[in-house]
Amino acid sequence: MNINSSLIQFRSSIKSTVKRWETVLTFLLLSEFIVFSLANEKFTFARMLLSINDIISICIISLFVTFVMVTGGIDIQAGSIVGLTSIVIGVSWQDGGMNIWGAVIVSVIVAALCGALSGFFVAYCGVQPMIVTLGGSFLFSGIALLISKISSTESYKGISGFPDSFTQIAKYKLFGVISSQLLIFIALIIICYFLLHKSKYGRSVFLVGVNHEASEYSGINSRLVVMSTYILSGIGASIAGIVLTAYLGTAKSDIGVTFTLPIITAVVLGGTLSTGGKGSIFGTALAAVVIGVLRFGLPLSFKISTQYLDIPVGILLLAVVIGRALASNPKTSAFFNKLLRKKSVG
Amino acid sequence: MSLIKKITKIREMSSLLFLVILFGVVGLINSDFLTPTSLINCLNDSVVFTLLACGIAFTIFTGEIDVSIGAILGITAAVTSTMLVNGSSWIVAVMVGIIIGAVIGIFNGWGVAYLGIPSLIFTLGTNGIIRGSIYVYTKGAWVENLPVWFTKLSQFKLVGNLTAYYTITLVAVIAASLILTRTRKGKYFIAVGDNASGATLVGIPTKKTKMLAYILSGVFAAVAGIIYSSRIGFITPTAGSGYEMRAIAACVLGGISLSGGLGSLIGASIGAIIMSSVSRILVFLGFSSDYDNTITGVLLITIVVVDALAQNRSAIKNRRQRLMARTALLPPAKGEKQHEH
Amino acid sequence: MAQENQAPKHVPMICVKGIYKSFGMNAVLKGIDLSVYPGEVVALIGGNGAGKSTLMKIIMGIYQQDKGDIEISGEKVNLSKPSVALAHGIYMVPQEPMLFPNMTVEENITIGFSEKTSELRKRLIELMDEIGWHLDLHRKANSLSIAEQQLVEILRGLLRNARILILDEPTSALTFDEVKSLFKCVNDLKAKGIGIIYITHRLGEVFEIATQVAILRDGIVTLSGQVGDFTREMLVKGLLPTDMDGNEAKEGIGGNSDIDYNGLEPVLELKDFSGYGFSNINLKVYPGEILGVAGVVGAGRTELASTIFGRDKVLGGKVYLNGKDITGLPTAKVLEAGINYVPEDRHLHGLFKIRDIAENTTSSVLYRNFMGKLFINNKYEHAETQRYVENFRIKVTGHDQPAGSLSGGNQQKVVIARSLITKPKLVILDEPTRGIDAAARGDVYRIIAQLRSEGVSVMLISSDMEEIVELSDRAVTVYQGRLNGEFRKADINQDNLMAASFGVTGERKVDL
Repeated sequence: MNINSSLIQFRSSIKSTVKRWETVLTFLLLSEFIVFSLANEKFTFARMLLSINDIISICIISLFVTFVMVTGGIDIQAGSIVGLTSIVIGVSWQDGGMNIWGAVIVSVIVAALCGALSGFFVAYCGVQPMIVTLGGSFLFSGIALLISKISSTESYKGISGFPDSFTQIAKYKLFGVISSQLLIFIALIIICYFLLHKSKYGRSVFLVGVNHEASEYSGINSRLVVMSTYILSGIGASIAGIVLTAYLGTAKSDIGVTFTLPIITAVVLGGTLSTGGKGSIFGTALAAVVIGVLRFGLPLSFKISTQYLDIPVGILLLAVVIGRALASNPKTSAFFNKLLRKKSVG
Repeated sequence: MSLIKKITKIREMSSLLFLVILFGVVGLINSDFLTPTSLINCLNDSVVFTLLACGIAFTIFTGEIDVSIGAILGITAAVTSTMLVNGSSWIVAVMVGIIIGAVIGIFNGWGVAYLGIPSLIFTLGTNGIIRGSIYVYTKGAWVENLPVWFTKLSQFKLVGNLTAYYTITLVAVIAASLILTRTRKGKYFIAVGDNASGATLVGIPTKKTKMLAYILSGVFAAVAGIIYSSRIGFITPTAGSGYEMRAIAACVLGGISLSGGLGSLIGASIGAIIMSSVSRILVFLGFSSDYDNTITGVLLITIVVVDALAQNRSAIKNRRQRLMARTALLPPAKGEKQHEH
Repeated sequence: MAQENQAPKHVPMICVKGIYKSFGMNAVLKGIDLSVYPGEVVALIGGNGAGKSTLMKIIMGIYQQDKGDIEISGEKVNLSKPSVALAHGIYMVPQEPMLFPNMTVEENITIGFSEKTSELRKRLIELMDEIGWHLDLHRKANSLSIAEQQLVEILRGLLRNARILILDEPTSALTFDEVKSLFKCVNDLKAKGIGIIYITHRLGEVFEIATQVAILRDGIVTLSGQVGDFTREMLVKGLLPTDMDGNEAKEGIGGNSDIDYNGLEPVLELKDFSGYGFSNINLKVYPGEILGVAGVVGAGRTELASTIFGRDKVLGGKVYLNGKDITGLPTAKVLEAGINYVPEDRHLHGLFKIRDIAENTTSSVLYRNFMGKLFINNKYEHAETQRYVENFRIKVTGHDQPAGSLSGGNQQKVVIARSLITKPKLVILDEPTRGIDAAARGDVYRIIAQLRSEGVSVMLISSDMEEIVELSDRAVTVYQGRLNGEFRKADINQDNLMAASFGVTGERKVDL
């Protein structure tokens, strides 16, 4: 019957689309490697692993921002929370005399509170996520600056001299090659994957993202779920801040400010719908790596200045969303269907 | 009495009131702030933000957003300034700048209105591309040594101590505001943001309206870039960075609803004055500029939360009122059989 | 009013021929032929989901037909978008008012016109005087009641001097007086030679105002002609699927076993229950019975159900489930206590369209232990989903099919599955057969009968009077937010229900 066969086609095409997107990303990643290493023999996998640090922060935060965007929201304050985390660690340890690990815990709590604040306004007051996290980005970077002023060290210098146990977080190398940051990233991918895709909590995040009202009718506390995603995002930003601070060996209030565009691009490129309800941790992770490699490879292999890097990232973002829009446009898909049908008949 | 009530209900009035109170409080603490010179300076300094805020307001009215305006300001400033430095006639340089803004606006409008891509994401992408392009164009260097006549223009006073720039901008804003509220096509912007499907139903060309909004946003940002060049005198590659966020903040402060359908350009202008005065106010209050971001953040979040709560409250109230009205007792039915089957 | 459009009487103002329209796999219109001549009022009747709204949206240029032609005054036209339809003089007053909430009444009505504001205002005031409707032009649209919003919509059409006016259930929220003035208005338009399509589910109105009638069922016109040629019974017959008896048959579903109410304790009891949209409801639902809740749109039934379910604030009174006080509990707790609710609007409140059916079905039991402690027990999820797929005969290609791609009937079954998986003691079904095809409707009735036989109580809210008559053991009617009639099985018939729904009661309360 006609209906059944088109149903089967439809279903298999959906399945393959989902599978296909992550394949596309992997393909993209591989082609990046090929292109960059061909252009400059200095571009090697090993060297990239060594320089992974520059891109890890974005990768880590993107994983958590995925949760927020699955609920249909957005988080542009993550970058500011990175800096806030860093300076809180620095000031609590140096000027507050706390144990370094205590300082770390304090910074995570502070970050979670920042996320909770914005999350509360989004979920319980009905404010648009963009504008709240916009205000948050001002507020948290401002507070970070003020905290740095409390410190005895001048803020432009940054607080340094951290104990080795702390900096080892970022500098340790397994087998001398694999950076601890990479290990942390992989661990977080696994944790976030299970949290979003396998746990009951993650399911509720998807459901709330698709239909907030229907979730309520299913007995899910939609508002709490939404707020929790912002808390997660804040924690993610703080993890990135901790790792970055450990790596740089310096606590500064203004690190992370330029992360917003790459983070959003990574999440969107990874297959998350900005309207919510669909997303993938693996997709985000892959996309973040693709972007990271891009930002690493272009300067190295093509001598493109780091300041120009927003162009390819921006183009990538637009290419994805435009491509998706055209694909779901009935006119273009009808056009492609005609093409395909001709091929299968002829 | 009812006239006063009507006036206070207007959203712009609350913004104006806020402005007056704010300035008043600052003036109490430091009376130097309230001198005519100081106040006029506040206005003059707000010209760039006023243009940005009014430009972005068009897109917000239709229920969208444009976060690329800061970058448009930057690139227009860079290109126009470079052309002037290289001796081009000012007409050409200005025209090129405006065309850049318009072209970017068309691109944004295409993606958002015709492809249906969420505006935040799309303009975020455009923003990134333009920002990077500024570096490419200027090769990372500053654009300096602008023609003296050009920079002097920013000092030129037209009405009393108000600069020509501000005066003309004000006139333009008032004119645009009238067009938006009084003409048939002008009302389309707010209509589209208020109820997009309802707008289509009464024959309003929704897509064209949004496209126009983005073109206006781009052009206003471009003009802002030109004026910015004239005022500052040199252009760094990060010129305009973060301005889009402040422009959005200005709109919100001016009573414009981010979901569209509500607000006015006058409100945006008032909000722009507030936003650009923040740093100045901090100075007068004795705060270092370190507090800039924090205060802006607190201000923004407070305004937006209060606004959202108020809107939600009234929406819920309205709904409940309507439901309650249904249960109101009617006069006893006179046994009409007319509606029976 | 302004210009008089006296079109030639032998050419239809609008004529649609062979209109087909499908949404995905859902075939909504299967070959519609309809004509409206000048000065005619064509009443278009049809059950829920028969395709009336879709047809009107095609005429208004919002949708495009898959096949078929539309002719205006004999000329073929391509109504590609609303502005084209408007230019041809077609105006639709939608069922749900589509006003601009932040604009005033005047702005809402006059937007899109090119004349001067003062001129328009004059014409508008003249118009309002002629009809006798008075609205404050300066009020913001979001402060208007639904009835007032409908008036604004109608005024929009009238001010436009539409030649073809479509009224989609215009009286559903109007008071008696407002309806009278609307009818006067319609008669005036008739006299001016304007063609009107009048969609309604109220048969009485058909005989009062219409000149022609057409019945739409399952995507085709089953009956059409001059109103004078039909009786009410004939119309009702035309509305029902051909394999059912057209009168108030009291065939109970699932056997004729009457419930013995002696000494039975109610499952659900409402005492003076008041909320937004309803007031002082005293109601009992007994185990294993189907309680029909009839009433017109806006009577407050959905508000009653959703407030019980924890979706809105309680203003007074109590709700008891098996004696336990559950008044004002949040939704999650109400679910736990044993009530579930199939919402009226499955698109808004019932479905997660881009998620698959397994996720949809189990969404209401997500937090129960058998779904897993931390991680989701996929085996259980699929086992349960399969159980419902088989039991309810849900046509799917697999558990991973997104709910949005199912037909209306299957979507409804998924939503019902979601509500039954919590093993409730009482299920509230709100318009369960709205917008689904006849076969699916039969399946839903079977499910309801099954529930009844399992001892689950059902509160059936429906605007479909026949449905209530067929299925209910007892029935109540709600009018203007109050219960105004209670009927035992023997007295449940369309006359009684319809009369009570319109506020005409003989104060017949049955004490149990």
